[in-house]
Amino acid sequence: MKKLILFFGIFIFQVNYSQELFVVTDPASNVPGNTLSVRLSNSLFKEKIGGDYNYHLMPEVTYGINKNLMIRATGFVSNRNLQLVTEGGSFYSKYRFFSTDDMNSHFRLAAFGRYSFNNADIHQETIEIMGHNSGFETGIVATKLIKKVAISSSLSFEKAMDNKPDYSFPSTQGDNATNYTLSIGKLMYPKKYTNFKQTNINLMVELVGQTINENGKSYLDVVPAIQFIINSQARIDLAYRHELISSMIRTAPNGMYFNLEYNFFNL
Amino acid sequence: MKNLKLNYTFITSFLLMLSVQMNAQISKVEIIATGLTCSMCSNAINKQLKSLPNVLNIETDLNTNTFTVYLAESNTANPKIFKDSVEKAGFFIGSLVITTTANTVSKEPYILIDKSDSTSGEVKVQVLDKGYITDKEFKKLSKSMKNHENYLLNNEDDFYIKYSK
Repeated sequence: MKKLILFFGIFIFQVNYSQELFVVTDPASNVPGNTLSVRLSNSLFKEKIGGDYNYHLMPEVTYGINKNLMIRATGFVSNRNLQLVTEGGSFYSKYRFFSTDDMNSHFRLAAFGRYSFNNADIHQETIEIMGHNSGFETGIVATKLIKKVAISSSLSFEKAMDNKPDYSFPSTQGDNATNYTLSIGKLMYPKKYTNFKQTNINLMVELVGQTINENGKSYLDVVPAIQFIINSQARIDLAYRHELISSMIRTAPNGMYFNLEYNFFNL
Repeated sequence: MKNLKLNYTFITSFLLMLSVQMNAQISKVEIIATGLTCSMCSNAINKQLKSLPNVLNIETDLNTNTFTVYLAESNTANPKIFKDSVEKAGFFIGSLVITTTANTVSKEPYILIDKSDSTSGEVKVQVLDKGYITDKEFKKLSKSMKNHENYLLNNEDDFYIKYSK
């Protein structure tokens, strides 16, 4: 794993262009105004006990209301109970409140909020309102482009609630957490653009962490990813998530992401 | 019937006169956008610009994020619609140069800061207001433009310009 990080680290600081369309986290930049983005996120995570695979499918639509505000709705489908069941959904909004751009750099700040509902059983200490817990999350994200290297970091507060109607949040677990992320991305190909039809290839690495506020239990994951942008309109992400450290109970921390996205610009 | 025909001729010639008068206010706009990282971002700007009225064609240099917009004759475009368009896509303008007639830039809403050396024909001018140049350039320019009170007011109704190569 150390070798992998080093490998990505070297890549990222060597090449000339950058990307901030991260796989697990969202940058401070928004979907353009009047643009509809449709995404199908797939993830396959291996259970620690038993070795079964959990498949999660998240269909998602995002719309840019104006240059600073975007909204998103997500559905959660999973096979954790052996067959594919719709377990819940989520609403998300992000507001970009600060931007300063220069020819080869920009710095942006955005605030975001998410509300999710989910009816699945609660089976781990990790709070994850994207497909596991009901609850909300609110935070800020900063994205900086320095000499064409994009770095994005976010800090958020996440609170879990009961997974109604059948599953109450266990009183023995901390129900709120602090999340922190750090993402770096780089455009690998093309070295020089010729037209909009060229496929872009991006490499990214993201660090995703959480600390349960009540008891200090934490985890830190690394997510290396490769991304293809096709026809300047569609996007394919392939990523692997790996637990680096953890002091909390997690049922299936390691797995793969496979996302498909299509953008309808300027509706 | 004869009267009607005469009326028709009159209206047509009147419209023709009007269109000559409004002729080619801006024929070309060269925009350099800032803060872009990908061709998908350029495409977002490209699609926004394409949706503007009277846009005939857009040439794009993805390496420099330059968009050259060609406009139809007798358009009423002003620099603000291009700025709004780029910002709607989520980005900003680093440079905006318009190709127009010397006559157009000699009057409102344009304020030429250097001496006018041509009074006819085609001219290229760069817009210098906040939002049309980079923040750094604006800060620098604000110091040398202290005697132009309205420049520092950043109002959207006038456009400070200078000749461009």
